[in-house]
Amino acid sequence: MNEGALTKKDRMHIEIAVRKIDWELDGRIPRARRRQILNELRSNLTEAAQHVGVEQAVQQLGDLKALANSYLELYRSRFDVRAGAFWAFIAYAAIQLLGIALFLAFRAGVAAGGAHGASYSFDLWQGFGQGFGPFAGKVGADGNTFELLIGSPAHLLIVLLAFAIGSTYQGIRARRRT
Amino acid sequence: MPEDGVHDSQLLKGVLSLALMRLLADRESYGYELVTRLHDLGLTEVQDGSVYPALGRLERDGHVTSRLVASTSGAARKYYRLSTTGYAALEHIELAWQSLVGALEPILSKAVPAKPKEALP
Repeated sequence: MNEGALTKKDRMHIEIAVRKIDWELDGRIPRARRRQILNELRSNLTEAAQHVGVEQAVQQLGDLKALANSYLELYRSRFDVRAGAFWAFIAYAAIQLLGIALFLAFRAGVAAGGAHGASYSFDLWQGFGQGFGPFAGKVGADGNTFELLIGSPAHLLIVLLAFAIGSTYQGIRARRRT
Repeated sequence: MPEDGVHDSQLLKGVLSLALMRLLADRESYGYELVTRLHDLGLTEVQDGSVYPALGRLERDGHVTSRLVASTSGAARKYYRLSTTGYAALEHIELAWQSLVGALEPILSKAVPAKPKEALP
């Protein structure tokens, strides 16, 4: 059988299966290795599809996640970029939530103190100068307008730290497990 | 030879590397071809998805080497062949396998009784 026997739909089906595995490997094994694995899988799947049909060929791979995990056991990188990105996001979200909570408490305090005709600002920590963050904000004179710091050097520092710890720890933990 | 579907998948997993190395000792092959060669031997339960990582493991351990060969069917095929250390490893594993089979033979060759004997007092 030759490649002509495969339709566009067949090739799409193969590509979807390959991409599902790629999704699991992305950021977890070195890029060059990942490309080699995917090319080999694509080649074998194409070959199999020509003999037994594309449905059967993909089915014969078994559980795609399990297959991806087998590759991860073999070639996992020292760093798990995806885990790093996840923990960086969590860290940023946590800072923002905490910042909002602090800001609301500050605004309530300002209102309770009978604020009138002036704006009130807070900068919780100025260890490295004003505006370093991460917790700073301002309540407008009317009490309804406000500003909240959502990006600062401190935000960046914490997010980077979370990324570094998350990617390294996850990588080490997974390697130990395997 | 047992009928299709009677091989225990866990047993097969344990000897997959040995089977792959033995097949590669006979002839250089690519992934899907090895799957079909295993199926032709009656090992139809072996899934493609267990063979491909097993080949990767053999390559990582230095037991096989690989090369890409252009294919008429599209993407290049990755052909595997047994390396020098692979031949040595195969010899070692084959001996271990024969020894294991020999050790189990006296137990497995006896007919299985309907129920076990009572424990000795």
